[in-house]
Amino acid sequence: MIVEIIAFILLGLFAGFLAATLGIGGGIIFVPAFVSLFAFSQLDAQGTSLAIIVPTAVIATIGHARAGRVVWKVAAVTGLAGVGGAVLGSLLAFELDETVLRRIFAVVLVILAIRMFIRAVRLRQAESATDGS
Amino acid sequence: MGFSWVKALVVGLVAGFVAGLLGIGGGVIVVPGLVLLVGMTQYAAAATSVATIVLSAAAAVVAFGVNGNVDWAVALVVFVGSSTGAWFGARYQDRIPEWLLAGAFSIIMVISAIRMWL
Repeated sequence: MIVEIIAFILLGLFAGFLAATLGIGGGIIFVPAFVSLFAFSQLDAQGTSLAIIVPTAVIATIGHARAGRVVWKVAAVTGLAGVGGAVLGSLLAFELDETVLRRIFAVVLVILAIRMFIRAVRLRQAESATDGS
Repeated sequence: MGFSWVKALVVGLVAGFVAGLLGIGGGVIVVPGLVLLVGMTQYAAAATSVATIVLSAAAAVVAFGVNGNVDWAVALVVFVGSSTGAWFGARYQDRIPEWLLAGAFSIIMVISAIRMWL
């Protein structure tokens, strides 16, 4: 019982920190952790994950807003378009072949990940150039 | 900051569409969209992304709550940790070099891609 509570808090600390610094919800950490470590069903894992993400994202947003980092115009446009897109996606979820779509998006994500990684390498090089090291 | 409404709109539509269709989080698409397409820094993109996640996650959680798929006790305990982690993360994000944020994010994207493929 006490071990589980500590494990849950540590899981939250880790995921919450990554969520705020990287700009993700944290479901990518919560859902697999709940399913594989705590034997949740997939639906319970997703629902519980989302219930944690909402207030956690509120706190992250407040912290970032105080530092003046949130671009509100973009957040409003992208956020509202996101809700619209999600409704569209969930309506089409039953019409389209999910396996094919999953693999297409997985490939797209890997391509974007490579671009992001190249960006990281360039930023690192620029940083060490200004350090003079 | 000058920005393209169209690009911000496209990023949101695509992220929401994929999230609604495949049940993945939007952040893994919103952040690279804001960085690579809109041209934001990793810092501003992350901050702006979490603001959009408040909206999208709040919209998504309702159905799970109504259907009884939320373990509120566990959510509360995990939130004790996640709120603290999020507060520290937002507070000290600018101490982390941008290359490290971009590199860590590319790893998150690969993990997400693998989960999507399987």
